[in-house]
Amino acid sequence: MHRTVAFRTLGCRLNQYETDALASAFDKDGYSIVELEDEADVVIINTCTVTNQSDRKSRQVMNQAIRRDTDHRKLIIMTGCSVNNHKEALGAISGVSYLVENGQKSQILNIVNSHFRGEMVDPSRLPEDLFGFAAAERTFHTRSIIKIQDGCDNFCTFCIIPEVRGRAVSRPLPDILENIRQVLDFGFKEVVLTGVNIGRYDFDGHNFDDLVEKVLDLPGDFRVRISSIEPDGFGDKLYRLFQHPKLAPHMHLCLQSGSERILLQMRRMYTARRFREITDKIRRQRPDFNFTTDIIVGFPGETEADLMETVEFAREIGFSHIHTFKYSKRHGTRAERMPDQLTEAEKNRRSEIIRLVSEENKRKYRESMLGKTQRVIVEKVENGMAMGYGEHYIPVAFPARGLGWNEWASVKLWSLDDGEDPTVRAKMISDI
Amino acid sequence: MPRERKGKSEKISSTLEMPFQVIEVKDLTDSAYIVSITRNAMPFTAGQHILLGEAGSTQMREYSVYSGETDEHLEVLVREVEDGLVSRRLKRLKPGDTLQVEPPVGFFTLPLARLPHDRFLFIASGTGIAPFHSFIRSNPDLDYTLLHGVRKADEDFGADDYNHRRYIQCTSRDRNGRFYGRVTDYLKKYPQPDFAMVYLCGNYDMILEAMDILRTQGYREEQMVAEVYF
Repeated sequence: MHRTVAFRTLGCRLNQYETDALASAFDKDGYSIVELEDEADVVIINTCTVTNQSDRKSRQVMNQAIRRDTDHRKLIIMTGCSVNNHKEALGAISGVSYLVENGQKSQILNIVNSHFRGEMVDPSRLPEDLFGFAAAERTFHTRSIIKIQDGCDNFCTFCIIPEVRGRAVSRPLPDILENIRQVLDFGFKEVVLTGVNIGRYDFDGHNFDDLVEKVLDLPGDFRVRISSIEPDGFGDKLYRLFQHPKLAPHMHLCLQSGSERILLQMRRMYTARRFREITDKIRRQRPDFNFTTDIIVGFPGETEADLMETVEFAREIGFSHIHTFKYSKRHGTRAERMPDQLTEAEKNRRSEIIRLVSEENKRKYRESMLGKTQRVIVEKVENGMAMGYGEHYIPVAFPARGLGWNEWASVKLWSLDDGEDPTVRAKMISDI
Repeated sequence: MPRERKGKSEKISSTLEMPFQVIEVKDLTDSAYIVSITRNAMPFTAGQHILLGEAGSTQMREYSVYSGETDEHLEVLVREVEDGLVSRRLKRLKPGDTLQVEPPVGFFTLPLARLPHDRFLFIASGTGIAPFHSFIRSNPDLDYTLLHGVRKADEDFGADDYNHRRYIQCTSRDRNGRFYGRVTDYLKKYPQPDFAMVYLCGNYDMILEAMDILRTQGYREEQMVAEVYF
């Protein structure tokens, strides 16, 4: 019997990788992938719990799926960090067929197939396998996301992730390289290295820098992007590797705060000054290097002066995008017990301040790139216009001239659109 | 500490197989005491901390390991917090009582390759001395100077465990220590520019001020490592 499956992913790139891998596995097994709004036999919701808002969104998606399941025939599966964090509460909700924790997420296809054979599997009894996902061929993304590690040992005072993703564990290097070889064979042109705390990669004496070097050494016309990374993990070799033509000049380098006092209370393992040294060192080699970041506003005890330090710091570094999080009290973390918790209204006000800085920086950075060339991977073509991202991770649009999805295009950046997230208009080099 | 569990995460809520039992609770000062517990062969790197609480309790707290890497027992140094949920209960423990311990974590550790030839400056306030105690017990040949800020000289937190020439107690409320004043006053009065690395552990006001002073004495960011105690 032909069955359909729909996915919804919340949160981080690691979740996106895991959903991509699951979708690819279902596709290979004969399922059709449909939209969540369509009638699907199986609905898989990959949740996030990093903030209250993430939990709320995860529940909203779950409630919508349950409401749509009027004849109670859908198999609704909740997985991801919100499940690990709130298993008991979610377990009490009728309409959800299975709750699958992160450790068993890679086995969801088996759980579903067993179910349709009339076998009810208790996911919590399955062995944990964090890296049991097969290389994904048909995914929701043009870039291939590659999981290199899971979990985190940093224990920042605000963070629930070590509780829900567990302690840091690195995927064996040969498996990662094999995964990348496979996705390159599938036709992917960009791989994104991802995990919870990738800078702390450590397998068999190989650290993160070694891993990146090995990936860059793989043959083929492709590029490598480093996704979200903490400033405290990687070593000196990485700076040199940024001269490699395959390594994208872009990093999502997590700042969280520009105030030394707040960074220390967050138990971040770097100072703002150290962060600046890192970005300066990279920009000495690549002046147009693109830094994006995460900032938390409203951490307990954050004063107006602390916020202004963050604003000034964000302007100085020129992050071209800031993902702003309002601090959320997470049960069991050290920050939960800290005094001087801020109101939601105040967090909203601060969040808006950072959003405006992000918008201002974004325009400034993209303007600074006009006149430069980019090698874009086409992600979609609409009305004769091709759209995609170049190596610096800037959204670019240009006349397609017969180009199709997932093709390379060398373009010159020409002008900037209006709006909060302005697309850069470009011309193909061959047209100039 | 590198971990190679190949696809199996170690959940911090996991229960270790053997129970950890209290061996002794030893008072160091009116408000600080050492809890000595069975080690159960649990490895750690000096400077790391564990989560500790009474068996069955949902309340656990982080404590730096105080004992050395090769010591038979595991020790933590605890400051009794007024109205504290955990620290007051831990003080009442008796030998044989059971504790729950979650495995050691943290990166406030020494760069092993540099130990034979480099000099280290350790700066602590109060019970922030705990990881330095572990450093020194684990590495008897360590070339170090330890500045320890306390209010009064009797809060010495086991000063005999340190080489007296290397241990400088800074007291802010009496004149019976080696230096009268805070550790930051000591740093200003006696600049310490010649260490390869500086490790700071204690309250964040002390850490921030000390780091500012150290920067004026020529230290770069990568030479300073800090662990905050709340």
